[in-house]
Amino acid sequence: MLRFIRFADTLSAWFGKAFAWLIVLMAVGTGYEVFVRYVLNSPTAWALDVSFIMYGTLFMMGGAYTLSRGGHVRGDFLYRLWQPRTQAKVDLVLYFIFFFPGVTALILTGWKYAARSWSYTEVSVNSPAGVPIFQFKSVMVAAGILLFIQGIAQICRCIIAIRTNEWVEAEEDVMETEDILIKKAHEAESGGHI
Amino acid sequence: APAVLAQSPLVVKMQTSWPASDIWMDFARQYTTRVEEMSGGRLSVDLLPAGAVVAAFQVMDGVNDGVLDAAHTVPVYWYGKHKAASFFGTGPVWGGSATTMLSWFYQGGGDELYRELTQDILGLNVYGFMGFPMFAQPFGWFKGEVNTVADLQGFKYRTVGLAADLMQAMGMSVAQLPGGEIVPAMERGVIDAFEFNNPSSDMRFGAQDVAKNYYLSSYHQASESFEFLFNKDFFDDLEPDLQAILKYGVEAASTANTASAMDNYSSDLQKLVSEHGVKVHRTSKDILDGELKAWDGLIEELGKDEYMKRVMDSQRAWVERVTYYELMNAPDYALAYDHYFPGKIAL
Amino acid sequence: MTDPHVAIMMLGLFILIVFLGFPIAFTLMAMGIGFGYYAYFDEGRMWRSYNRLDETASWWDSTSLWIEGFLNNRIFDLFINQTYTVMSNEVLTAVPLFLFMGYIVERANIVDRLFSTLNIASKNVPGSMGVAALITCALFATATGIVGAVVTLMGLLALPAMLKARYNPSFASGIICAGGTLGILIPPSIMLIVYAAASGVSIVRLYAGALLPGFTLVGLYLVYVMGRSILQPSVAPRPTSDEVPDVRFGKLLVMLLTSFFPLAFLILAVLGSILFGLATPTEAASIGALGGILLAFAYRAMTWDRMRESVYLTVRTTAMVCWLFVGSYTFSSVFSYLGGEQVISEFVTGLNLSPVMFLILAQFIIFLLGWPLEWSEIIIIFVPIFLPLLPHFGIDPLFFGILVALNLQTSFLTPPMAMSAYYLKGIAPPEVRLTQIFAGVMPFLFCVLLSMVLMYIFPEIVFVLPELFYGG
Ligand code: NA
Ligand code: NA
Repeated sequence: MLRFIRFADTLSAWFGKAFAWLIVLMAVGTGYEVFVRYVLNSPTAWALDVSFIMYGTLFMMGGAYTLSRGGHVRGDFLYRLWQPRTQAKVDLVLYFIFFFPGVTALILTGWKYAARSWSYTEVSVNSPAGVPIFQFKSVMVAAGILLFIQGIAQICRCIIAIRTNEWVEAEEDVMETEDILIKKAHEAESGGHI
Repeated sequence: APAVLAQSPLVVKMQTSWPASDIWMDFARQYTTRVEEMSGGRLSVDLLPAGAVVAAFQVMDGVNDGVLDAAHTVPVYWYGKHKAASFFGTGPVWGGSATTMLSWFYQGGGDELYRELTQDILGLNVYGFMGFPMFAQPFGWFKGEVNTVADLQGFKYRTVGLAADLMQAMGMSVAQLPGGEIVPAMERGVIDAFEFNNPSSDMRFGAQDVAKNYYLSSYHQASESFEFLFNKDFFDDLEPDLQAILKYGVEAASTANTASAMDNYSSDLQKLVSEHGVKVHRTSKDILDGELKAWDGLIEELGKDEYMKRVMDSQRAWVERVTYYELMNAPDYALAYDHYFPGKIAL
Repeated sequence: MTDPHVAIMMLGLFILIVFLGFPIAFTLMAMGIGFGYYAYFDEGRMWRSYNRLDETASWWDSTSLWIEGFLNNRIFDLFINQTYTVMSNEVLTAVPLFLFMGYIVERANIVDRLFSTLNIASKNVPGSMGVAALITCALFATATGIVGAVVTLMGLLALPAMLKARYNPSFASGIICAGGTLGILIPPSIMLIVYAAASGVSIVRLYAGALLPGFTLVGLYLVYVMGRSILQPSVAPRPTSDEVPDVRFGKLLVMLLTSFFPLAFLILAVLGSILFGLATPTEAASIGALGGILLAFAYRAMTWDRMRESVYLTVRTTAMVCWLFVGSYTFSSVFSYLGGEQVISEFVTGLNLSPVMFLILAQFIIFLLGWPLEWSEIIIIFVPIFLPLLPHFGIDPLFFGILVALNLQTSFLTPPMAMSAYYLKGIAPPEVRLTQIFAGVMPFLFCVLLSMVLMYIFPEIVFVLPELFYGG
């Protein structure tokens, strides 16, 4: 079970991080559009399409990675007070009710939607440049599959937490500045034992 | 007949591609009220604006999937699936008016070509009918004056369909946006000039607040019609008389739309000038020539596709014969107008 | 039970389930699909293919078509369609770019320079360190838009400095919590982009509209900090030249030129190009991100690790916000399809509230929601419930949005989920107690309230800039 969790975490993180670099492309690409449009007076026809394709791909492919790092927002002001065991019991049930149905629909219906788009090699209607979007529609399926795999890992996490009353954390990763600083402060206080 | 009255009406979920405030919502309502009256209350149409269920450009997907039963839109809004969509709404200007081209759809073989495109080529699960021959569309709204093709270089301009390809060929960079997003896009700087369709729609979404020069008369969309889409399964399951009402209601609404357009478009054009200080121009000869030249290139390009060539051949044959008659037969209306209202028009 | 009843049940159930702490994006998605399955249930459609089978059909064909029938519900298509609409939302494209800019600027080693320079510059003002901390917070928060980072970085830097200068701990921590939260209000704020995407109000109008209210709030904060320092000098003693060195004017100017102005220039360039319509918010955000990278290089703070961190954190936060949209688009579309919007609007209009009463009630509910929830959930899920009611009361959604943005300042500051206070407590010296922090924050909450009242009495504060830039 632990091995599967590690596998899913790694898989999600690999895809999430790989597609995260789209942000740099997006900044540079949009920056290029600003340059040719305002400096050279010759805007591109594709910048608009390309920017939303990158944005959409970025956040969809980052969904599973975010889930693996507990990054999706929860209304957790009660949840955080519970024992890990209680948290895990509730989560376990809710993953089956609230997670898998939607994610499965994303994969199956997304497949139908994307397949149709592939069949006529659909391009974006936003510009005459004809920027392809059939691959973009397939992102829904890919994101759904990653989430599905990560969801199984989360189920495993719940089962382990119910047994041990302790959550299996994801491996060390980038942290928000505030989390790093708070963690450091705690380490300093407790004499650096952690 | 009490038996009929006892059953509750079948609700048709119809979404448009227009914002709630657009005059085209009123035009769509002219269709739905006719349908409801003709069906004696057996049909009730739930008419929704763009975005109520799906976004303006997504109504074809919505109707195909059955998320919507019907849609009121224009074919160019789904031309990302196939450029040929544009031929049935707004295609090359061969010399015929929107009435000429709508007649091509119903009498010149257009409907069969449309069926082939939607059902055979794209495999879409829809029926579509065309209605309301629109007046030629203005070249649009600019912040400053534009008199030559050279003046157009570097503009980020909004239009739709093959007109977008056309304007791109003329040196502008084109964005296609639904009507409701044009003014916000101007404010955000996504575009710096645009056309939508007619004085009433343009005025209602606030074109005059973001640009003051309005150019009438253009070849980029010299003809266009509304498209009434129906989910095929939904339509097939209806009784034949209700199918007929939905189908022929399009023809009935066409006349009502035309009358309403004449009334509103003309008076709103006056309002734009007198109340909003808009400067109305006729598009220059240089730009019109540029448009025709750009169409030549585009027609050649599109003709490389077998299907699109067949559509264009069919349209050409129709216009060559029909418009010959139309033009040879038409008296000089401008002359008569000038006779009774001297000095008003400067063409 | 009629459909509108089902819709109300859907909303009620959702609110209960939120408190179970499951990731909200998926809760919304599943509830939208579940209730949508009921809403779009169509027996004819389900069995259409099955019924068309004749007797020769194989067992396999009939079974698979029978199963397929259950999945033949338009909610699934609607869900995919809504997901795609979020994926291709042009306004939201600015979100990852502004987040990226924020993460880069946060790592540009800028805050300590900024604080020490402003400390010297404001030396002769009452409550000088507090003023310097507040302006540093405001500027830094505006550029990054990330509350937690501002509060913790400033908490590590400015709080010890102020405590050393014998500032009242409560007063000092209030300044940092309140100042650090300003980034969600002052443009280019990500919260306003999200509100624009949820409400359809033009983002540039929102930015123009939020500018003066943002300055007003900063102004009120400054008035409070200086006023209290004058009336009660013991909370903010004048720092000795040991604590804040005396610097010649020329040197101070150089310090300002290298710390304050680059950041201020970056913010002005981004905002100016948006407000004057020179660039779209997405374009301006990309310039901001590239500018932030340059700035980080100039401060020799750009390392490969920091770049990676910024990139990865960007994808996580973007995914967090945008998946919430994926869920809520489907949820709210089913909710309104069932007639939920209609019931709420009938109920509220039936109360015969005056516009001002409605406004107070709405803002009070949003304030209460801010206790347990975060701004993203409130804006994406709950604010859209109020939006259809606005025309009835003649309230401009732009105005409403700015009030909400002001209001949500409080969600970071009010217990039990006062994130700003917790961030600060997390890094503050142990002798600073949480209750002290809360007490220090209270006067700032009052400033927020006052600013909202001012907006209501003088709505011009909101409208003057949008009208100036974009016409009525
Ligand atoms: Na047009
Ligand atoms: Na709170």
